[in-house]
Amino acid sequence: MNNSLDFNRRTFLLGAGAAAATASGTAAARPARVIDAHDHLHFRNIANWSERDRQLIEAADKLGIDQICCSIVPPEHPMTLEGFRNANRWVAEGMRRFPGRVLGQCIVNPGYGPEAMEEIRRYIGEGFIGIKLYNDYRINEPVVRPIIELAIELKVPILQHAGHTSWLSPPQPRISDGSHVAEAANRYPEAMIICGHICGGGDWEWTIKSLRNAPTAFLDTSGSVIDDGVVEMAVSVLGASRLLFACDTSLTASVGRMRSAEIDDASRRKIMGENMQQILARGGRA
Amino acid sequence: MIDINAYLGHFAFRPLRYNTAADLLRLMDRKGISKACVSSAASITYRNVHAGNEDVFRQIASHQDRLIPFIVLNPGYAGWQDDLKSSHEQHGARGLRLYPRWHQYRLTDPECLALVRAAAARKMVVTIPLRVEDRRQQSTLVDIPDVDKTEIASLAAAVPEAHFVLMNGSGYLGSALGRRQPGLPGNYSIEISLLRSEFENEFGRLIETLGEDRIIFGTGMPFHYPDPAITKLDLLNLTAQAKQKLTTGNAMRLLGM
Repeated sequence: MNNSLDFNRRTFLLGAGAAAATASGTAAARPARVIDAHDHLHFRNIANWSERDRQLIEAADKLGIDQICCSIVPPEHPMTLEGFRNANRWVAEGMRRFPGRVLGQCIVNPGYGPEAMEEIRRYIGEGFIGIKLYNDYRINEPVVRPIIELAIELKVPILQHAGHTSWLSPPQPRISDGSHVAEAANRYPEAMIICGHICGGGDWEWTIKSLRNAPTAFLDTSGSVIDDGVVEMAVSVLGASRLLFACDTSLTASVGRMRSAEIDDASRRKIMGENMQQILARGGRA
Repeated sequence: MIDINAYLGHFAFRPLRYNTAADLLRLMDRKGISKACVSSAASITYRNVHAGNEDVFRQIASHQDRLIPFIVLNPGYAGWQDDLKSSHEQHGARGLRLYPRWHQYRLTDPECLALVRAAAARKMVVTIPLRVEDRRQQSTLVDIPDVDKTEIASLAAAVPEAHFVLMNGSGYLGSALGRRQPGLPGNYSIEISLLRSEFENEFGRLIETLGEDRIIFGTGMPFHYPDPAITKLDLLNLTAQAKQKLTTGNAMRLLGM
């Protein structure tokens, strides 16, 4: 790892701690590693994918993010076998291109059954740290159960794309929401299921409340919505141990959100990295 | 720093923190924001929007060195001419906020053009929040799309003597508003709270296309956390001069300070 970049990341984050001094106290709010639990490299149907992947790392450098959990979401939905195989192959290449910075999440369409399971086994075996599920099925549908059981066996988290919109005609008819995540988490309490992007999934108050009674489910803080109070409500209702800092490509919004959040240092350390480190440690991947 | 995009009062669909003058000032102090242009959050859904303006005037009466009153007016509601006059002459209102989707008019309607011209004649800044909330999270009671950028461009062209600030928006580069030679007067500025400075870097590219005199700092607090806007500034490698313009100088110029 480049020492000067490492220095810049740490000094910037210390600056962030100072900016949020009244909320976080001091630089004691920084965990050993800041981990973005939900982000993306780019599908290679765009001409400048390589440059955009590099921009992700550069922005992370400037914003004090040490490691970035990444999947690639194929453009076609429902996801095809070829689509998710390409996506995972390219994430593996991204892990080699940015060693120690990109942590791979293996994306699959659970509808492919054995092929999806094989894909997960292969890439977890190659060093991916988790599974990413999109909107092909809701996570509480029976077709997803073998994936959850495999995640338990392999001791890896599942990051579930999620959202709850009040009334817009759903462009994603099988998108999971917090209640679906809660149901799956309560069916499989030994699983580590992460409800994706609280700040990019519609009614965040609804989502937080829907997860209250699923004590093993996690929630990531990512998204472009910068509404005041999201993090504080999530900490109050769910507890800091269930929250994971994440960006989902909205890096400045997501770092800024955490800078503003009025939470204690211990909670901030948990959210910014310690919780994700514990998840990784369960599978011996910390 | 001067925040062009701040609010006081209650919002109909969720509780806001820091929505009193004293609390907002406390938050501003923590974030290094010296002044803020504030309007009523309640006026977004009030029938008689001026009741919210009057509440803002009461709240900031002893804080006028830091909180600058902007008013919400609905050109389709009775008495806006009287409300504009009293707000400007008696309460020192420096700007106007328009909510054409919430109040159900178009920016190019004759009534709106009359209001904007009247505000411009008083040298008031005309601000247009493109959204209040992300549409995906709106209450089941409302369906409010973002304000259309083509409509904004038409208004800017129709009232060249006005100066507009477009707030809570993004995606300008795909519209005439974000182009270097749009065939529009240079009578609008763009506020930064929802611009991205990563990846496609709309923030930085708008500085290139419109110039650093026309990009202006705003947070959207207390609807928004203030730090995302500050973080976006941090990510860009701005010169000290450019940063001063964006955070302070441009607002002072628009406000005649």
